[in-house]
Amino acid sequence: MNSLKPGSIFLISAILRVGLILYGEWQDEHMEVRYTDVDYLVFSDAASLMASGQSPYKRTTYRYSPLLAFLLIPNSFIAASWGKFLFSASDLFVGLFIRIILKQRKVPDHLCTYSMLIWLFNPFTFTIGTRGNCEPIVCATILWIIICLINGNVVQAACWYGLIVHFRIYPIIYALPIILFLDPRFFQSGVKPLLCDWTSDQGKIRQINSQVTDQFDVWIAFKNIFTRSRILFGLVSGSVFLLCTGFFFRLYGWEFLHEALLYHLTRTDPRHNFSIYFYHIYLNYERDLSVLEKLISFLPQFIVQLVLVFCFAKDLVFCFFVQTVAFVAFNKVITAQYFVWFFCLLPLILPWTNMKFKWQGVCCILLWMGAQTHWLLWGYLLEFKGKNVFLQLWMASLLFLAANTFILILLIRHHNYAPVFRQHTGVKTTQKKHE
Amino acid sequence: MSTRHCNRLCLNQKLAILWMFLSGAIVSSSEVETSRPSDSRNSDDGKYILRSYFDRYENLDDPSFENFMTHELSPSLCQVTPENRGLGVRLSVRELSLVGEGSHRQLSSSIRLQTGAESIPELPPHICEVIIIQRLPLGVFADPFELQNLHKRIGFRDMAVFGDTNLELPSFRSNRSAVEVHIDAGSDILFTQNSGMEINMLLPLHARYQPLDESGYSIIEIGEPDILTRCSMEGKQHKQSCLFMSSNESGKSRTRTVEWKIPAGMKAHAGFVSVVTFITASLSTVSIVYASMFWSGTKVLKT
Repeated sequence: MNSLKPGSIFLISAILRVGLILYGEWQDEHMEVRYTDVDYLVFSDAASLMASGQSPYKRTTYRYSPLLAFLLIPNSFIAASWGKFLFSASDLFVGLFIRIILKQRKVPDHLCTYSMLIWLFNPFTFTIGTRGNCEPIVCATILWIIICLINGNVVQAACWYGLIVHFRIYPIIYALPIILFLDPRFFQSGVKPLLCDWTSDQGKIRQINSQVTDQFDVWIAFKNIFTRSRILFGLVSGSVFLLCTGFFFRLYGWEFLHEALLYHLTRTDPRHNFSIYFYHIYLNYERDLSVLEKLISFLPQFIVQLVLVFCFAKDLVFCFFVQTVAFVAFNKVITAQYFVWFFCLLPLILPWTNMKFKWQGVCCILLWMGAQTHWLLWGYLLEFKGKNVFLQLWMASLLFLAANTFILILLIRHHNYAPVFRQHTGVKTTQKKHE
Repeated sequence: MSTRHCNRLCLNQKLAILWMFLSGAIVSSSEVETSRPSDSRNSDDGKYILRSYFDRYENLDDPSFENFMTHELSPSLCQVTPENRGLGVRLSVRELSLVGEGSHRQLSSSIRLQTGAESIPELPPHICEVIIIQRLPLGVFADPFELQNLHKRIGFRDMAVFGDTNLELPSFRSNRSAVEVHIDAGSDILFTQNSGMEINMLLPLHARYQPLDESGYSIIEIGEPDILTRCSMEGKQHKQSCLFMSSNESGKSRTRTVEWKIPAGMKAHAGFVSVVTFITASLSTVSIVYASMFWSGTKVLKT
């Protein structure tokens, strides 16, 4: 495995993806079940509407930023699979960014290769891009933002962040950890922050400190909340977001605002999905839920996000990962494409886990896949066989949440908490001089 | 060494930025011409009968549709031979069934077109099409975009969905819809005696989420389609169209139906499901919060 050069890995990955896109074209043409994701047809229809000067929102169920339809305009005049190539290229960039981040944090070469392979040859991820799902673009941008941040490039990170929150709202959950991460002790103007090496985090033993000194750090974080880099990040990302949103609001009006933004914020889908809430929503869909009921379903999500952010913000990548897993697990609507949101972050945290692949890792993978397959089995009976298995399907959702929670706790338990930055030596002296 | 590393890294970063912009730049530098997908708001010069119906009525319901077919559509049918509504055209639904299982099925209908028994030789040359209007009950819908793709592959003359085409709403928040399909029947078919032209149609349909039902299932009934033939006559001065109804009296309620049994949530589950859902969510929250507080507080010390 060590003999594999990154270039060869990327080449094989690219060939695999091109092959799958071509195979998908064949399957769509010759088989009853299409390879292409149904959402891809929605994007393409929206893109062709945009190309003919109309609103992409005339295509029902198009609930994305007009930017996506814009990127897919060549679907109509270059090739119908243009978008798939674009998404698969983003998928390859995710692999590249994983390597860049790990190399910068001085992770040994063989671990970088393994981590890249976990992304590039994960059947779930390479099929998602080649079937025409846009998530790889979001993943690539999130990783690029991490690269910008660890290089101290706050303005560029903020630009991409504002853009990606406009594009796909869920990265808004990263706002607070990024703000906490931009700690004035590491981010000083004109000085590149110092990265903690992977090697320095190894060979250490874990020891429980009941005093949880991070609480003190949180206090400092609150005290120093209005620092230059934090204000800069907030202003730039907020402006980019508002600029994009304002521009498209001017072009497409309330239809855009409702479909691309408000729909996602207020979405409660009564149709079956992995979420534990789906049957509750369906059973209560004919009546309006009280404010208290709405609050109860929102609280778990809110509490978990808040706690994870304050516990892990300094280990930014790990924080992103656990936040995303929890966000998806507690969401009111969960579809399989959401899993890719945390799959792209998984290779970035594995070098810091002390969980053994044999057999803890294998057990986690089997548990997660088993819980999902179990759900899919009941879902199949409901959707394709017409059996009333709503109750069993809902129980399978509960089991899936339990599996997600268990695996998340195991990952937290076995993670070597590794802040991304170390303090500049002589920081205090510099600060005093400034004073 | 570090400079070399930085150079390589910077190159990678630049490549990445270049790619991110490139995808937009390529698009913006090209002009696009493409056909737009199905849109029921297209102007169609009276092609679709259902459009005339929905211009007058907001929602689809059987009495007003049957009234429309009998009184509002029929009198303006044929300007060539208004007294001869039949013209020997006979249309009948020979078979109606649902194919498949679960929430995604196909409505199979077999339609027979017979002509020529009472042919009128003085008719001008003409081109005919069979129009099939399938009214769908509440709780079942046809995806206009799926039909559009089907249309491209099968080559029907025209196909459109009218009414409530929102694909996501549950049955109790939606309205009814109907599909209109136009199929070529050939030219000058009224001159010759034809023992029967068989048209088989498979219409993909999807079940919406049903209202709660204590039996655990909702039964949906789908009736026969309304069928018509429209012939465009080559008149001396201008083209004229003639519509011929199916052999059944127009307005007569459709006799044959097929049943679709769709799973429905049970109200009896409501309390139990809500309580257990929130207990599970709370337990899961508490365990994650506890694990995070406990394990993020572990500090590392060098051995």
